[in-house]
Amino acid sequence: MFYLAEQMPRGDFLGSLEQIVMLAVMRLGTNAYGMTVRREIEERTGREISIGAVYATLERLEAKGYVSSFTGEPTAERGGRAKRHFEIEAAGHLALNASQNALKNMSEGLSRRWKRA
Amino acid sequence: MSPSTLALSQRILERLMPPAQAEALLGDLLEERRLRLQAGSQVSVAGWYWRQFASSVPTLLWASVRRGAWLITVVTAVASYVAANGIQFVLWSALSPMTSKSGPTVVGLFSFAAALAACGYVAASIRLGAARLLAFLAFATTCAMLAISTPASLWYEGSLLVLGPAATIAGAALSGRLRRVRL
Repeated sequence: MFYLAEQMPRGDFLGSLEQIVMLAVMRLGTNAYGMTVRREIEERTGREISIGAVYATLERLEAKGYVSSFTGEPTAERGGRAKRHFEIEAAGHLALNASQNALKNMSEGLSRRWKRA
Repeated sequence: MSPSTLALSQRILERLMPPAQAEALLGDLLEERRLRLQAGSQVSVAGWYWRQFASSVPTLLWASVRRGAWLITVVTAVASYVAANGIQFVLWSALSPMTSKSGPTVVGLFSFAAALAACGYVAASIRLGAARLLAFLAFATTCAMLAISTPASLWYEGSLLVLGPAATIAGAALSGRLRRVRL
């Protein structure tokens, strides 16, 4: 955990939507593109999310170097438009690990208090 | 949903993103809409589409603001120009009772230049490009004002044209020099 935290720039923990989007990309593997990421999030969290929010988050993550993208072939069912596939980069794995560990460590030992609340 | 409203919504979304990203997003929307049409009614799919559109626009708009430094530059320059007019008015109101002359005065020129120098300083400390744009705005609006107002003396009109951009650039230069000293 400390090793991972030291590898990241200070104050660079991922936001909750960033974590959710990265986890969806990770789950989908080679089939991760805007629509599938959006649907995966909706199915797993039960939370409706806009395609715009997915793309804005992916753009932010790409700017940070946590994900990369490449353009696929255009298809007829998409009106001749190409897909943009996403994949997690090594820095992204590191950032996601550090953020998840930080949350886990912060919530450790609080399960009883949680039940009372 | 008519094809024309669909095309209009796509044009709006297209404007908010870089072309490659817009192509992928619009393709995703079309693909999912087609999938939903196979399973659900036209009305429910139209409702889903417009919900997606309505919730995507503010997010993409904000992303385009964050992405586009130009917008921050323009907003800073325009806000600085408005502030410069306010400061000029306050200065002129405070200083003009000291002179008995009405019409074009040195006090008027001084308040004009001082306000633009101060705002050029602030604009440059936010974004250097905003100070340059402010200098251009000062020049362009002075030209426009001189064209529509009653002619004043040549020295006064010439001074206004030169002083506005010059004072703005001087304020910006001072901001840059102070920043270098601080570093």
